[in-house]
Amino acid sequence: MTTTSRVAQTAPPAEPNSPASAAGTVRSRSRIDPTYYWMVVPVLALFAFFITLPALVGVFFSLTNYAGYGDWKFIGLMNYVNIFKDPAVLQSYIFTFVFALTTTVVVNIVALAIALGLNAKIKWRTGIRTVFFIPMVLSALIVSFVFNYLFSNTLPVLAERFGVTPLATSILANENLAWLAIVLVTVWQAAPGATIIYLAGLQSVPSEVYEAADLDGAGSFRQFLSLTLPLIMGYLVINVILGFKGFLGTYEIIVGLTGGGPGMATQSVAMRIFSGFTGGDYSYQMANAVIYFLITLLISVIQLRLIQRRGVSL
Amino acid sequence: MNAALPASLLSRRSLFRTAGLAGAALMIPLSACGASPAAQTGTTTLRFMQNKPEVVDYFNQVIRDFEALNPDIRVVQDFNEGNFVPGLVRNDPPDVVTRGFAQATADFVKKGIFADLSDMPVAKTIDPKMQELVNSWGRYNGTETSALPFSLAAAGVIYNRDIFEAQGVSVPTTWDGFVAACEKFKAAGIAPIYGTYKDPWTLAQGMFDYASGGALDVGEFFTKLYAKGARITSDAPESFANSFGPALPRMLQLASFSQNGAASKNYADGNAAFAKGQAAMYLQGPWALSQLVAANKNIRLGSFPLPVTNNPEDTKARVNVDMALSITRNTPNMAAAQRFVNYLLEPSVVNTYNEKNAAFSPLKDAPAVSNPQISGLNAAVQEARYFQGAVTYFPPSVPVNNYIQSFVYSKNGEQFLAALDDEWRRVAERTAV
Repeated sequence: MTTTSRVAQTAPPAEPNSPASAAGTVRSRSRIDPTYYWMVVPVLALFAFFITLPALVGVFFSLTNYAGYGDWKFIGLMNYVNIFKDPAVLQSYIFTFVFALTTTVVVNIVALAIALGLNAKIKWRTGIRTVFFIPMVLSALIVSFVFNYLFSNTLPVLAERFGVTPLATSILANENLAWLAIVLVTVWQAAPGATIIYLAGLQSVPSEVYEAADLDGAGSFRQFLSLTLPLIMGYLVINVILGFKGFLGTYEIIVGLTGGGPGMATQSVAMRIFSGFTGGDYSYQMANAVIYFLITLLISVIQLRLIQRRGVSL
Repeated sequence: MNAALPASLLSRRSLFRTAGLAGAALMIPLSACGASPAAQTGTTTLRFMQNKPEVVDYFNQVIRDFEALNPDIRVVQDFNEGNFVPGLVRNDPPDVVTRGFAQATADFVKKGIFADLSDMPVAKTIDPKMQELVNSWGRYNGTETSALPFSLAAAGVIYNRDIFEAQGVSVPTTWDGFVAACEKFKAAGIAPIYGTYKDPWTLAQGMFDYASGGALDVGEFFTKLYAKGARITSDAPESFANSFGPALPRMLQLASFSQNGAASKNYADGNAAFAKGQAAMYLQGPWALSQLVAANKNIRLGSFPLPVTNNPEDTKARVNVDMALSITRNTPNMAAAQRFVNYLLEPSVVNTYNEKNAAFSPLKDAPAVSNPQISGLNAAVQEARYFQGAVTYFPPSVPVNNYIQSFVYSKNGEQFLAALDDEWRRVAERTAV
């Protein structure tokens, strides 16, 4: 609402086609091209209608005992109280955070290594870069179904032939190891995106600094630690923050690989919330969603402060 | 640009209008052909919603026959069950409905969605024990009959007749006999049971429901449990920990007879492998039969109820009312709807349907099932030695299938039952408010 009124205030009073502004000789600071508002306002309206409004409806129903259909009444904060007493919900939070942390670390190590390799003057660099970026364009659900088949059928057969007994049954069926399979597939899928950002960072480092380091006699590991890493620190921060936030909402790769099983071992928070739509547990999981939203909001604020301290802007 | 914008908007708007009109013009003849015969000849149009998309052709034929006998009634078939709740919300539900009868349909009954059918003469032709399967979920006003069973699916152990004959094993009637048969297959290098643990529902409807339903009165247990509501403690006699314990060792024994690597196989894998003769038995219901025959048309299959005690008289089959007929309470065409329901429950219609679909007819004097794939369940169904699966009584917010899968892997029965009790109590608490 405030934005639309601001449109009215700052809209140019008259003659948008006057020769002065068209020629651009007079630059008025108060005058903003209305095109920018045409770009922002429709998106804002769509965002409000399709995201903010449903979210508010969800918050409203989290205070009721609505099952998704039928009668309902207000029950205050009972849903929130019950969530804190529910070990299944707690378990999904622990799983999601451990998963997001691990995946963020692994994705960044892998992506940085790939980026360093792809930035070096190697043969067929362009072709190899293309190969590495293919996982990014594939749908996560399809990728996870393919890996599901590999883990359940191909890998056990190979492991049996070569006598690696621990892998002879699918790791997706192992309550303690299934999450590692999910980490692996997520890393495979998410590393290319992080690699692109690292490549951009590495290309922004001027080659003179390496020449100087060479003259000073610094080895390649020392160069990486003392030159490359500090110079691309901003890109690392961005990758960590974007990655962590993305992995907190993990859903489709788990659905494709384990469906939350075996047992309850790989139920992410997003999956628990979504189960409310089919399980007649709508208001309860809405309360869960509100709590999760507040937690991710808090994490985002902390991360933004960290970014600002580093002088990086997203 | 500014001048062109309104013009283009206008033209676009008029374009939409033209398109809308064209669409409406297309719709008019369609809706007219739905409505005008009624206006002209006084026929009534019934909407019939059935819950099994795979039997549309059968019901189209039934409807044609019915319309030929009743020229004043037209019946429109709708096989998209997902339309039912939206229809209720719009206050425009179908007139006649079939639904699988379990927790969700029982909720509709409690809300008084369906009309009372107890006065219909055809209700007397239904086997009262099968009617009880529906009534046990709760009756509206305590006495009404909201649904009449139309088709009963009975599940037990599907077995490969060729493997049984080759090993000289006869159908076991006691638990000890069953275990002995499994040992014999194992000794011969044949997997006794094909397990598909990757799909938790197959464990739930299979070993969990069979082992628990054979060992205790599941329906009575859940009636008491629901009556307790949120006031259930873990030491109450109505708890899972105090009732389901004896069933668990049998589940683990069943699991130990599954092939190696059952944990990485799903239902589709299981159907393909069992059809190829990779195991002697398969803990699945009649819904798997057509899949197995599709994968191997020469396979010779049979079914028997899993005995979980050593008294053959106690052996029970797991059943579910796959289709139950209801009339919605507020239908304006009650008389026509009753005539249609009467017709559907005529022996030639209902018995033929069940014979074709490997299911059991609910009529008192239905002939014995001759289909060799399910005839082994005949005695149990006729003598009403059956139960509805324990997992069908759980509210959907309890992920019971996952708990069962977890138990089969961890083999920790105490933890499993305690988890069920806790989860049940939490759900009861938050839905009771």
